[in-house]
Amino acid sequence: MEPSPAHSTGGAPSPAARHGGKEAATVFAGLVLLTALELGVIRAPGVGRGPVVAALVGLAITKASLIALFFMHLRYETRILRFTVFGPLAAPAVYALALMADAAWRLLR
Amino acid sequence: MWIFLVSDAFSFGGLLIAYGILRSGAAVWRQAGEPALGVGFTAGLTLLLISTSLTNVLGYGAAARGDRRRAALLLGVTALGGALFLVGQAQEWFGIWGPGLVREGLVFGHSARASTFYITTGYHGLHVLVGVAYILTILVQFLRGKVGPPQIELLSLYWCFVDFVWVFVFSFLYLMP
Repeated sequence: MEPSPAHSTGGAPSPAARHGGKEAATVFAGLVLLTALELGVIRAPGVGRGPVVAALVGLAITKASLIALFFMHLRYETRILRFTVFGPLAAPAVYALALMADAAWRLLR
Repeated sequence: MWIFLVSDAFSFGGLLIAYGILRSGAAVWRQAGEPALGVGFTAGLTLLLISTSLTNVLGYGAAARGDRRRAALLLGVTALGGALFLVGQAQEWFGIWGPGLVREGLVFGHSARASTFYITTGYHGLHVLVGVAYILTILVQFLRGKVGPPQIELLSLYWCFVDFVWVFVFSFLYLMP
């Protein structure tokens, strides 16, 4: 099995390092754009709280995924490591969604 | 490193879930006299932190290609950006060149909003502080030839994780209506 980048011990550049600057700059531009979108969403006139919250959660998850996949090189890691990282992180996300659904239910009751 | 980062993510997850529970259960979240959070200023800090992730990743790439001088420069810029983020957070909390949140009435312990804000952003700020120290330590060792790309990649993972977490802190604490 090819050693994962985070556990390489030297020698040739890891797969993540070979992708270099262009990809990182593209991801950086995407993160700046998404941050600008977040600021636009909270200032958008006439949009209800629910859609704003949903948009902010979606944008945050997208930004975090870009950072994890490209800046933290998870995209170039093994499938097992990707699952090991994203699997447990889904638990608090699901819990948070359940809490949001519960709060919405109490508001509508 | 990944095991540490996942466990650390749970600690932030716990803080953010506690924030969500407290906020959704509160009849009034922002108490009378409490200031609004400076979204524009913090958006600037967010862009600064994202920029340092970029310089860190590029620094690792330079180190992996054997461009030691460029790698050292980029790591130094990353540490500087992290230090500037901490200065920005100190300005936001206490005020350096203007009134801070504490003086404006957002006092730890006076409301759930204030306490969750200071605990969560403070815990993140502690991670930034540790990250700056980590970068400077690795940078010195790199310049002495004692560490190489593998150690810089581990550092890069930690630093980008600090950015990863801030994405959620910024969205939930500062932007949520």
